[in-house]
Amino acid sequence: MSCEEIIADLTARELLPPAQAAAIRDYERTRPFSLHYELRTLLYLGIVLLSGGLGVLLYQHLDELSHGVIIAGLVTILLACFLYAFRHRAPFTWQLAPPAGVLPDYLLLLGCLTFLTLEGYVQAQYQVFGTRYGLALMLPAVLFFALAYLFDHRGVLSMAITALAAWVGVSIAPTSAFVRNDFSSVDLSGSAILLGLLLLGAGLASERLNRKPHFAFTYISLGSNLALLAATAALFSYQRAVLPPFAAGILILAISTFLVWYARRTHSYLFLLMGVVYGYIVVTYGFFQLLDFSGGDWFLASLYFPLSAAGVVFLFKNIHKILRQP
Amino acid sequence: MNVKAYPTAWPYAEAVQKLARRWQRQQLISAPQMEAIKAAYPLSYYRPHVFIRVGLFVFTLFGCCAAAGLIPGLLGFQNFNFILLALLCAGGSLLLLEHLIRESQLYHSGSDNALLYFSLTCLIFAVFYAVGEATPAPYRASFSLTNPFLLLALLPTLGLLMAAVIRYADRWVAAVTYCTYLLLVAGFLLQFAAGRLVLSFAIMLASAAAYALVLRLARRPDYLYYKPCFDLLKALALITFYLGGNYLVVREGNAALSALTVSRQVPFAPLFHFFTAGIPLLYIVVGLRRPHRTWLIVGLLALAFSLYTLRFYRALLPPEIAATLAGAVLISLTVWAFRYLRTPRHGLSAAAEGDENKDSLLNLESLVVAQTAHAPTPQPRGFEFGGGSSGGGGADGKY
Repeated sequence: MSCEEIIADLTARELLPPAQAAAIRDYERTRPFSLHYELRTLLYLGIVLLSGGLGVLLYQHLDELSHGVIIAGLVTILLACFLYAFRHRAPFTWQLAPPAGVLPDYLLLLGCLTFLTLEGYVQAQYQVFGTRYGLALMLPAVLFFALAYLFDHRGVLSMAITALAAWVGVSIAPTSAFVRNDFSSVDLSGSAILLGLLLLGAGLASERLNRKPHFAFTYISLGSNLALLAATAALFSYQRAVLPPFAAGILILAISTFLVWYARRTHSYLFLLMGVVYGYIVVTYGFFQLLDFSGGDWFLASLYFPLSAAGVVFLFKNIHKILRQP
Repeated sequence: MNVKAYPTAWPYAEAVQKLARRWQRQQLISAPQMEAIKAAYPLSYYRPHVFIRVGLFVFTLFGCCAAAGLIPGLLGFQNFNFILLALLCAGGSLLLLEHLIRESQLYHSGSDNALLYFSLTCLIFAVFYAVGEATPAPYRASFSLTNPFLLLALLPTLGLLMAAVIRYADRWVAAVTYCTYLLLVAGFLLQFAAGRLVLSFAIMLASAAAYALVLRLARRPDYLYYKPCFDLLKALALITFYLGGNYLVVREGNAALSALTVSRQVPFAPLFHFFTAGIPLLYIVVGLRRPHRTWLIVGLLALAFSLYTLRFYRALLPPEIAATLAGAVLISLTVWAFRYLRTPRHGLSAAAEGDENKDSLLNLESLVVAQTAHAPTPQPRGFEFGGGSSGGGGADGKY
């Protein structure tokens, strides 16, 4: 076993005294096997299956089941989850709270999902909100934001942001932001850009004001992804878009620059990747708009891709030198 | 010339520092000792954060393809030759790869992976093209596994890939090599009429043989250099062993080979039922008793696929009820396991092993939640059992 060899090697090089090496060997032999992430994944899978299954089940058997029983059942699950999370919560703080544990964290998520199921059910059955759909969509957003801050829970924060986006009328989940939204509608694209910028601002503010600074990642990743996608759609749009292509390009470049700067400062390299990719798309688009293909610019165009790709690789490779911290 | 492209000191230093970090977390070694170990085994290679590696990989690959597009223009279109183009591209990127490893100390850091994959793709393309040119036209027409032309092309491909694995120890090249090996086994058997009957057993046997070979090779002194390959190969061997015996794969695979539109009952069906039910449980039990993470995770995935197999032929419950019940069972089971293993028992524990990356894991988890846990939008039909990608998303975090 390689662990044994390494201990022997370190002892031979006098980096480990023999007594310590024996203690380490002992630890390596008796170390328990952690099932933490497997169990966590299964628990989350169970929560998603249960709430997804319940949602469809209730919707399909609306007429056959007794309403009182359903509502009582859902309220019981909801209260049980929230009470459990509440009993195990850490005292409120604007900073990173000590972890409450896996079960309280995930049961809070289950509670939030059950709330959505319950709300959908009472609306379908009793039209509690009538035609004020906005109110029906706003309510979970408000509740989830409150819970996210109270329980210091990033998962619930992201549910709150999805609910807020649903209220605005856009889908914000990382991939469906791309697939589901019809950005060719002027209203949607405009509100998506605004909401994205708002979330970016919220992320920056939570860091600057030191109010839950660890929420910044969720705000900024979801917000910038939405704003960048909507602006890119505006850039490529052939119809009248909310932003003229030039303004959209400038906006994307601005957000990309911000992301690269922010990534360097906080070492969140996901933002660096996003910033560079979107920036590259805009620069490439702009370059090809400038070219004149009736003339002899084909040669320039064919050189552009290898050279620009090499340039981006160089940028990634030397990112630490280029963006040296002040 | 050294057979290995990267210095063997790099994986060794990586392994030493990883162990030392674990010991420091357990306060088995002091901070000055940690510094001394770091100084004695420096990580002298360049490997940036995973997202930068992704960027380097994508843009290097993109640049290679774009540069390859320039070559026909430079050579002139009149005496154009695909094999020459492929060999030029492969040679160029291999030279660049070797140069970068020496000069920039790249070690599985995105760019070198991209250059390796690009040159291998070019070489394999050249092999297939050359074999295709040399065989009579009717053979070239199809890529069916029963076509002997495919065997002729796969054999040099396998040799090429094995050479690349031995030199560069890239895990994904090792995975493709393994798949090529299985394709060769299958293609060879399908040349005979009886081959189809024993195909699934041959795949299971070939997987078991590969696993045994990996275990043997892992006793070599340069084990650490190839560790990423071995780890992935073990998982793949377990997966193909299971799939070889899975009833759904056997039945639908047979139907596909006989060009049937509706699958028929297969011979030895009870045996395959037994494999489908038994292998996942075997994997999970071994995974928990040994304990071995690869066996456990593959076992859990195999169990999910076995349940899918059952539903495919006999749907016992409508999907929404099945999902609700499965969710309830999973939640109760994991809640019980978390409480039962609060203090370690049977060598298992529910506590996280070190929390180096806890913060970034929580951040990524919030994106998974945004992707999977939004309001359940009721859909009249087509609701997919399985609840989306959350399982995969969570499982990724642990590597």
